[in-house]
This record gives sequence, structure tokens and C-alpha cells, in this order.
Amino acid sequence: MADALITASGLTRFYDSGELKVAALDGVDLSIERGAYVVLAGRSGSGKTTLLNMLGGLDRPDSGALSIADQDLLSMSATDRAGFRLHHLGFVFQSYNLIRVLSARENVAYVLQLQGMDKKQRFALADQWLAKVELSGFENRRPDQMSGGQQQRVAVARALAANPDLVLADEPTANLDSHTGESLMALMRKLNEEQGTTFVIASHDPAVIASARTLITMQDGQISSVKVM
Amino acid sequence: MFSLAWRNMIRNARRSLLTVSAVALGLASLIFLWGFNDGVHNTMMRNLQQVIVGSIQVHADGFFHHPKLSKIVPDSGKVITLLHELGADNLAYRLRTFALAAGEETSEGLVLLGMNPDMEQAATRIAAKVDRGRFIGDNNEAACVLGKTTARNLGVNPGDDVVFLTEDRYGSLAAEKLKLVGIISSGEMGIDRGLAIIPLGFMQQMTGMDGKYSEIVVQLPKEQLEPVTAQLREKLGSAYEVLRWYDMYPMMKQWVELENAFYYIFLSIVLVIIAAGIMNTVLMSMLERIHEFGVMMALGCGRVRLAGMVVVESLLLGMAGVVAGVMVGLLLVHYFHGAGIDLSSQMDSIARFYLNPVIHTEIDTNHLLDTVLAVLAAAVVAAIWPAIRAARLEPVEAIHHV
Ligand SMILES: Nc1ncnc2c1ncn2[C@@H]1O[C@H](COP(=O)(O)OP(=O)(O)O)[C@@H](O)[C@H]1O
Ligand SMILES: [Mg+2]
Repeated sequence: MADALITASGLTRFYDSGELKVAALDGVDLSIERGAYVVLAGRSGSGKTTLLNMLGGLDRPDSGALSIADQDLLSMSATDRAGFRLHHLGFVFQSYNLIRVLSARENVAYVLQLQGMDKKQRFALADQWLAKVELSGFENRRPDQMSGGQQQRVAVARALAANPDLVLADEPTANLDSHTGESLMALMRKLNEEQGTTFVIASHDPAVIASARTLITMQDGQISSVKVM
Repeated sequence: MFSLAWRNMIRNARRSLLTVSAVALGLASLIFLWGFNDGVHNTMMRNLQQVIVGSIQVHADGFFHHPKLSKIVPDSGKVITLLHELGADNLAYRLRTFALAAGEETSEGLVLLGMNPDMEQAATRIAAKVDRGRFIGDNNEAACVLGKTTARNLGVNPGDDVVFLTEDRYGSLAAEKLKLVGIISSGEMGIDRGLAIIPLGFMQQMTGMDGKYSEIVVQLPKEQLEPVTAQLREKLGSAYEVLRWYDMYPMMKQWVELENAFYYIFLSIVLVIIAAGIMNTVLMSMLERIHEFGVMMALGCGRVRLAGMVVVESLLLGMAGVVAGVMVGLLLVHYFHGAGIDLSSQMDSIARFYLNPVIHTEIDTNHLLDTVLAVLAAAVVAAIWPAIRAARLEPVEAIHHV
């Protein structure tokens, strides 16, 4: 376990829904190695998004412990977590990932800009990444000039451009047709192999599950099975 | 950040254009109103100075409040040299005392003012205020000009003789009969009543005051008033008094300042409306991008940066409005500076002394600057609430916002 990127134990998160306290996460223990390609599967409402938000430092558990890249996420301030996300994490959301008024190139370069990279460098790097996700020629397109699959690939390029330790994706194929979804997963899997970047992808899409190298299944806020494929 | 803000502004071009137009319209009207206001005020202040008072008067110390024939300017040659050195060449000497004037029917006490008609032409426009007859023409002629109220009281018309009784420098009575050559009708009580203008040379002989003066009147452009006054005071010392027009007649300046203060209150009301308009736009633009803001925060954009972006967007709207508003406003001021606004039907005679019936707009730079800065400040203030709301977003909730 020397090479664990993510170590979580006893992660618990309650939501108040009326009088009922729902445990969206109920004592999750988790260890994910660097370079892993993990799919979080499970029915809708099983706690995938909640867990992913924890791992992304977007939400905090009510109890438990969590460290990523040897840093204790739970002791960080909100500002520190934003900085941590900027330098260590990449995100791909379900849809509308991109900043509407920016071109594909500028969207990919956005994180690099936040990191303080100068314009020439970040645009060059953004173009390289657009090429890696097979979007050469789309550099100047705005999100509304691209298909859903193209937009998701731009989001993947953006998530990876800053060379993060971990890429988190929540239902990345939910708004894509199955063929486009499959090719997006093939792309992510390929990048995982080529770049060695760790991926954790939450989805109940069979195409995503089929791409998993490690499949973690969740049920009622708990991990019900871990399979190495 | 700037280009992102800019693009968000033009993304909803119609809404932004509407807001910018509203800001521009508000600002242009403010500038035009300043133009009218400053045009009126500056004309009044200029007229007060140019008709008779001058921008600066130099006297022997204490003369203004207790004028006496014997209180002469100690060394008028020195004052004149100094004035020329300071570039103040539009000046005139005068002699002033009290006199009794007797006409056909009655007599009246008045101020006797000796003026050199040639010099006075360089310093003031009093000659132009003569309504009937003419102004005194020769420095030594036995002629006088009266205000219309005094002339009526005395029952005299141009061509009639008026007898003046006064004390000469030795305290003995001096009497002269002068021909009334002109009547001034200025609308200003202090001139129309209780004033007689006679040639300076004649008055000096009559009172035994050859080569002596009680006041030196200087006409100056506005921007030279303060520096020249300061220089004169420093170089002339305590035997002299150097009085600006508003040291002598403070009412008008106070009145102008009061009006400007009211104007600033009006300005702040317009600013509140402008700020509300900008805030509405910025808030709407922020609310429809909550999801996007959530994504940006997830990517690592800090709260301060996000709030800053909202402020920059607001400022951009404000700046675009300022550019358009200043252009339109100054164009209006410029146009009516040339064309003038004819108010002759609304003006009574008192107003006419200070005001020309046609108002020519002009704007003081500091008023323009204050107004522009206030609009930009309003744009920043308008952004505060939307910016706080943006900064308070929770990424998870924002991302799920659709
Ligand atoms: N903001 C919330 N408020 C209340 N309950 C929530 C909230 N978010 C998630 N939950 C609940 O937590 C549980 C897990 O949800 P989630 O993590 O979104 O599951 P999944 O992503 O697997 O569909 C569900 O029962 C859901 O209703
Ligand atoms: Mg989910």
C-alpha cells in the first residue's frame, strides 16, 4: 500500500430529508493506488456522487478520514481545498462542463491560467491536449458549436492538461449516445494507460463499467464489492 | 479575467447594451445639466467681475470696509509693475469717495467713482451697460454717468447738469457742475442706484488727488485668480489689501456653492438609479451562470477571484456607459456652448445683469471628473451584492444548479 494515492476510512455523510437522516455515505473505507482506473458503479442513489464529491474536496464528510497524495483533505480550509483541486485534481462532470464564452482552447487553458502559466505556453499546451483527444481543428470552437461528445472530450483534455494526480468524472457519458459514450471511455482508458493518471469514474452506464480496471460497486452508501478486472 | 468578463458582457449583448445605454443616458444628462449649471454660474461670476467689480481689487489696507478719500493705494506704481510682471495687464485705476448729487428737484447721497475711460475699457465692460446716451469719453471732461434709479430720483436726463458736492483732500467742500452724458440700466441695484461715474482725471483735480488712486481693478482669467492673489499678497505686504471678487461680494460664490451642493445631491439620486440598473444586470448575469461558477470553483477558481470577475463585469458595463455618456454629454455641452439656450422670455431684469439671456453651456473639469468617477464607483457598489452571492456559492450545490 506504499503507492496509495487515496486513503479513506469510515467516510460518513448524512443528509437531512425531513425528519429522516439519510446516510448517503455510511462508513466507506477505500484505498486507490496511483495509476488506477476505477469505476464506481451502483444504482442511482447509492452514494457515488457523494463519494466523488468527498474525493474532490467539494464536500466534507460528517466523520471519517481522507487523504489524497499524502495530504489530509479534511483539515484543509475551503481556500486550501480550492488550491488543492487546482494543482492536484481534474474534473469531468455530467454535462455543461465548459465555460460558455470561451473557445475549446481557452477552456482547456483555463486551469493552466489559474495556475499562472503564461498565455503562449498554456495555449500551446491546450492545443497539444486537444490533439490528444482528437479535436485538432476545433481549437477555436465555442461549446455551443460542438457536439456533446466533443464537449466532453474538451473537458477530458482540460482535466488532464495540468497533469493532475487524480481525475474524477461523474456520469461523464450520461448525456451521450452509447457509441459516443464508448469512444469517450476508450479515450479515457487510453489516457490512463499512456499518462499513468489515476481515474475515478462514477457511473451506472454499462459502457463505462465495461471499461473499468477496478470496479467498485456501491449500495446504500456502502461499498458492496471491489473487483479487479 | 478581463477578457472573460468582457465576453460575458457581450454574450448577452442586448441586455448589456440596454444597461450601457441607460448608464450613458443618465451620465449624458448629468453632464448636460452640469453644462447648463456651470454655464449659468460661470456667466454670473464672470459678469459680476467683468461689469464693474473686477477679479481682484488692490486697496490700501482697510479701504474696502471703511472707504475714505485719504486712504490711497500707498505705491500704485509698485502695484502696477508687479501686476504686469504677473501677466495681469487688464487693469484700471479708480478713485472713490462719497458725494451729494443735486438735480432739478432733489439731491441724493451716492458713491462717486472716478474712472479712466480708456483704462476701464481694458478692465471692465461698464461702458456697455449705458442704456441712454454714452459713457464718459475723455479722462478730463466735466461729464457724469448715473444709474437709472438715481437719475429718475434726481429728475435728470442726458444733457442736464448735475451738481456734485464732496470733500477734497483737505476736508474743504468741493462743488462741480457736470453734464449728465449717459444713464446706466444694469438691473443691479448697487449700480442703478447710488452711483455716479465721472472721469478720473477730472475727479483727481476736483479733490486735489492728482496721481492718487484708491483702487486698482484687475481682470483675470479664472485659473489665474488664486495664484495672482497669493503673489500679490506676499509681495505687497500688510499696507495693502488684495481682495478677490468674492472676498468683496461673497454672496454669489456662496450661492453657487449651495447650488452645486444641491446638484451633488441630485447626482447621488441619479447614481442610485444607475447603480440599481447595473446591479440588476450583473445579478441576472450571475444567477444564470451559477452552474458555470460551480464548475469554475471545482476547477480551483477561488472565491475572491470569482467575486472579482463579477466586479470587473460590472465595471466594464460602467466604463462602456461612461465612454458613451461622456461622448454624448460633451457633444451636447459643446453644441449648446456654441448655439446657446435662449431664456430671454423667462428672465427678469435683475437676472439679466448677471446672466445673458442666452445661456452658453460649459462644464468645469472637476465637475465632469467627479461625475465620471461617481458613475464608476456606482458600478463597483452595484457589483458588491452579486459578487458576495457568487463568493458564497457552494461548489456542489452550484454544479447541480441548472
Ligand atoms: N443535497 C442533498 N440533499 C439531501 N439528500 C441528498 C443530497 N444529495 C444526495 N442526497 C441523497 O444521498 C443519497 C446518495 O446520493 P448520490 O450520492 O447522489 O447518489 P448517486 O450519485 O449514486 O446517484 C441519495 O439517497 C440522495 O437522495
Ligand atoms: Mg450521481
